[in-house]
Amino acid sequence: MPLFGELELDAVAPALPRLRDLDTEAWEVPRAEIVQLAYEVADGTRTLLPRALHPAIPEYVTFVVTRYPESPVGPFDLAQLRLMARAGVHPRGYVLGAVASTEAAVAALRERWGYPAVRGEIALRRYHDRVASTVRRGGETILELAVVDPEVVAGGDLQYIHAVTLARVDGATQLIQVDPHYTIHHAARGRAQVGRFDAAAWNAAAVKLTTPISASASTCDTDLPRIRFVMDPQAPVVGGTKRVR
Amino acid sequence: MKFGLFYELSVPRPWTRDSERTVYENALEQVKLADELGFDQVWAVEHHFLEEYSHCPAPELFLTACAMLTKRIRVGFGIVVCVPQFNHPIKIAERTAVLDILSGGRVEVGTGRSATWTELAGFNASPDDTKKSWDEFVRCLPRMWTSEKFEFQGEFWSMPRRMILPKVYQRPHPPMWVAVTSPGTELDAADRGLGSLGLTFGQFAEQEKRIAEYRRRIQLCEPVGEFVNDQVSTVNFLYCHEDEAAGLKTGRRMADYFNYLATQLISVRETYPSKSYPSLGLLPQLRRQATGPDSGEQAGEGLCLGGPERIMRALKRWESVGVDRVNFLVNTAEMIPQAEVLASLRLFGREVMPAFNGRKD
Repeated sequence: MPLFGELELDAVAPALPRLRDLDTEAWEVPRAEIVQLAYEVADGTRTLLPRALHPAIPEYVTFVVTRYPESPVGPFDLAQLRLMARAGVHPRGYVLGAVASTEAAVAALRERWGYPAVRGEIALRRYHDRVASTVRRGGETILELAVVDPEVVAGGDLQYIHAVTLARVDGATQLIQVDPHYTIHHAARGRAQVGRFDAAAWNAAAVKLTTPISASASTCDTDLPRIRFVMDPQAPVVGGTKRVR
Repeated sequence: MKFGLFYELSVPRPWTRDSERTVYENALEQVKLADELGFDQVWAVEHHFLEEYSHCPAPELFLTACAMLTKRIRVGFGIVVCVPQFNHPIKIAERTAVLDILSGGRVEVGTGRSATWTELAGFNASPDDTKKSWDEFVRCLPRMWTSEKFEFQGEFWSMPRRMILPKVYQRPHPPMWVAVTSPGTELDAADRGLGSLGLTFGQFAEQEKRIAEYRRRIQLCEPVGEFVNDQVSTVNFLYCHEDEAAGLKTGRRMADYFNYLATQLISVRETYPSKSYPSLGLLPQLRRQATGPDSGEQAGEGLCLGGPERIMRALKRWESVGVDRVNFLVNTAEMIPQAEVLASLRLFGREVMPAFNGRKD
């Protein structure tokens, strides 16, 4: 039997976002810019992963920085750290930490989709030889990354894995699946470079980056969708998944 | 239609000192029985680092043991990963030749390039280059087997003029195959005059279309070897039981668990955008099959699970869409007791094989 996560829910429960309900309406977000880096990490992240999920072989994380130029709460940026895993047979990115650039976005992301979002400053800049992002919080830089020497690839070459968040809803702790659609207009792949990464600031002190995998940047129409599935974080997803709609 | 066995050699956790040994010993016993029953071939994959799913990094060693225990069954060396960080082409040629000699000319060679980040990164190999290095390797191997002396200047490897020894026992050389998971790879096989060694399950309509295109294309091929291997092989699960319901239930459990283990791995597509891996390949397909429209049924389309009659119908259907060979996975992670696996093979050999043009004594 594959290995499972070993997260002690009690240890994280007090800080979990609280969803108002599972009737979240979708947000259409056109012309989003997404920067994604994948990195292998040292063994030891299973303590961060809910027991319902399997660690990927080998363990790895993704950094996802998204610029949403239009949304119901105005333009905002969102940076996430995801620990990549399996929900049964499906690859999923378990969101360990998230920073959003406006208070309205922080509130909406927590209440509607269960993102553990906190307020911070996010920069996303395109240079001639890189697409770079910096995330700052409390005056400190907690993430500095870049897609170096990006080269155009087909949009179909990119694969974005759905996210799962951990939140309180209806009096219980649940894993919430966030599964956007993407229509990619432009895509590029480059080398992954992380200059600074304050793991503790992303609720991920156990994450130690080891081997860069890939980096990509895209422009796409996407959404923050209605919630379709929730999962019991303590049970195998085969029996613990509930379809919301 | 010919039948074979196909081994990934999955080893379930928790692991003990004897876990891997038990899996290998059980597999050898199955191969010995399969030889006696008239199965035509046994294949063993090359995989690295794939926890639980496959503990089979040295298939030629396992196949040597198979050859020593059997008299007639052919040994399928593959999928040999044709990426220089995994295998130097000279070593592939040499190891193939030794196995061919030891087995008395029973080797078949399956070529491929790996589809997981787990493995490619483990050998520090770039996914962007694997298709190109595979192409270089498959064009060299037949010449390394058949030329007295060989030299080569390529993009991925080079060598001065040398005599590569020993030479293969079969003349002119063993049949060559290409592992086919992604749609389109069967056309790469056809263009080079290589057999299509399909590693996907189910879906008659899709397979029929792909096989027809392979057949059309291979007629115009420029073979990389001394002859054209125009056969189409596919993999399937096999659990044959007198009680149809029991066979389906146990067999489906085996198939689902195989998919479950496979999907824990990291496919290249999941992490590394590359035109070298343009399609979803095996792992996402397994995910679809595990959760697709028929996942709630007792057996997916075309799987050889259940009673002899049902399995015979599935195989006749495969035969009708153009499949020449079917290689069976007969267990996963030792979840079916060895005695039941052997019983399944015997029942298949007695009730199903005679209905096909398999090898007869």
